[in-house]
Amino acid sequence: MRAWLRILALCLGAMTGAPGARAHEIGTTQVQLTLGPGDTWSATITTAPTALVNKLEAAAGQALSRDLTAERVLAALPAYTAAIAAQVDLRADGAAQPATVAVERVEMPSDVTLPAFVVLRADGPLPPGTHAVTWRYGLVYSTYGVVFTDAAGGAPQTRWLEGDAASPPFALAANAAAVSLPQLAAQYLQLGFLHILPEGLDHILFVLGIFLLTTRLRSILVQVTAFTLAHSVTLGLTMYGVISLPSRVVEPLIALSVAYVAVENIMTARLTPWRPLVVFAFGLLHGMGFAGALADLHLARRDVIPALVSFNVGIELAQLSIIAAAYAAVALVCASGGRKDKPWYRRRVVIPASSLIAATGLFWTVQRVAGF
Amino acid sequence: MLALRGALIGLAAACWAAGALVAACGSAWAHDFWIEPSTFRPGPGTAVAVGLRVGENFIGDPVPRTASLIDRFFVRQAGEEQAVGGADNIDPAGFLRADGRATALVGYTGGGSYIELPADRFTAYLRQYGLDGIVAERERLGESAQPGRECFYRYAKSLLAGARADPAVTRPLGFTYEVVPDADPTTGGPGPVRGHVLFQGRPVAGAVVTAHLQGQPAMRLATRSDAQGAFAFPLPQGGVWLIRSVHMVRAGTLAHWLHHRDWESHWASLTFDWPGPAGLAGAQP
Repeated sequence: MRAWLRILALCLGAMTGAPGARAHEIGTTQVQLTLGPGDTWSATITTAPTALVNKLEAAAGQALSRDLTAERVLAALPAYTAAIAAQVDLRADGAAQPATVAVERVEMPSDVTLPAFVVLRADGPLPPGTHAVTWRYGLVYSTYGVVFTDAAGGAPQTRWLEGDAASPPFALAANAAAVSLPQLAAQYLQLGFLHILPEGLDHILFVLGIFLLTTRLRSILVQVTAFTLAHSVTLGLTMYGVISLPSRVVEPLIALSVAYVAVENIMTARLTPWRPLVVFAFGLLHGMGFAGALADLHLARRDVIPALVSFNVGIELAQLSIIAAAYAAVALVCASGGRKDKPWYRRRVVIPASSLIAATGLFWTVQRVAGF
Repeated sequence: MLALRGALIGLAAACWAAGALVAACGSAWAHDFWIEPSTFRPGPGTAVAVGLRVGENFIGDPVPRTASLIDRFFVRQAGEEQAVGGADNIDPAGFLRADGRATALVGYTGGGSYIELPADRFTAYLRQYGLDGIVAERERLGESAQPGRECFYRYAKSLLAGARADPAVTRPLGFTYEVVPDADPTTGGPGPVRGHVLFQGRPVAGAVVTAHLQGQPAMRLATRSDAQGAFAFPLPQGGVWLIRSVHMVRAGTLAHWLHHRDWESHWASLTFDWPGPAGLAGAQP
């Protein structure tokens, strides 16, 4: 037991010693990109004036200007509009589109606490029937947001880009290719499965926590059924906008649920009357977490039900795979240990594994609370 | 004297050659981070706006203050350390009032940001920053064709010149990765600007260290630290200089498992106004 505690302490130390990934260095650049109306696109680029002018001067091999004013920036930029346009890379279905750039506004207050910015307007043609566009802007170093808006409809989407990286494709609703029902079902079944295995480590640990309480099949089935019912309900309700909880609340609670089931495994070896209820309650939270993965995809309303059902089936298949793998692993451990009695299994498997899961769940809880 | 001049010329040639090599590698995603105050020579009582910048060749985009990214943001002057205050999401990231009697040191540590790059861009970026050891390590691990997943951390320092030099600026601050000058460079003087690069307090041998002159993106010197982590730059002219270095290490197994990162990069920078080889008239050492 002491050895396990030492390992646990080492793991926690190593985990806390490696801070998690946090927000990126978001600069002052912002882009509003509008596709349409008609066969055109336009973008409003708001960025830092001195950095913009200096980048253009450096690219042209000229001396860099210092102590710029709004008037000097306004006087300097027209000579560079072609150079700026060359750095605006809008691609329609992979084909680069020409762009023209104009300077709309420059603000450089003498009060340094007020923001200095230049507003550029870029526009160009959009070929009829374009399915998707990508955006790239070569005159930025920091992380910045691009808001894609389809003038034909649909909710705007914000993408965060690292400097001069290209955006992922943004699909235009009017020209999106129709997907058949079997294709859609297969796509979302795969998505649901992958969302758990291997991407959903917190959900994997929760299912393992359920499994570790007892090897009795009935107990596992009761818990898995409660979990499945619960997350199916909230997944559907969240997708239809009936319920909504911010992820800053849901994600730490999911992490806490992982810790809870593991701690209860250490405290008791029996299926207590409240355990299925608790698992059901936690399942409600996990369902809201699952909904996040689907919500990001901005499904068309007609596709919501088949996608939801397929996604849920994918999740169930992943859960059953985890339990099957866990059963196989436990059988292997018991066979190699030469012991199959319950005290041995509990002492050598349930308690150490649950301790690790509980520690991980608690670490995530703190990390997620601190991260929001 | 002739020997000294010969050594300096040799050192300068080595720096320019290394700089040309680094410049020839082309651009990839990899950006420096530094502190850019509104003035590098504030008088006593002067209010200084402290900007953070991310960019290349000493041309940077402003980075507004993001409280969640900051581990430490402080100024050391007149023997005291004070937090640099500011408002979230605002550029400049902080404000301070300069004491002005001696050189002040502004320090910033933060980051922990994650980035994933396609294999080719990651390799180009590693080569651009002289991290050939990491390229070789990726090859050895069979990861060369895989995307580069890293978490990066920032350690920036800036010197605000005062009426006299302050030897305190030559002491390490305890940053994970740090550029430490051997002497206060704000007073200038003959001979190269020397310093050390330290990772977790220990010298780093073979680290690429570069120096950039503000306003002249073509003016870039590069060298490698020696076995004691020491570097030297024979700066050709006075002005505001950025000295920076990046050090990368393999992420731990748990960081790999929990945070899906393979590498951790540590970016150290130092900005200061170097008056030139003649030094400042009337400056007290």
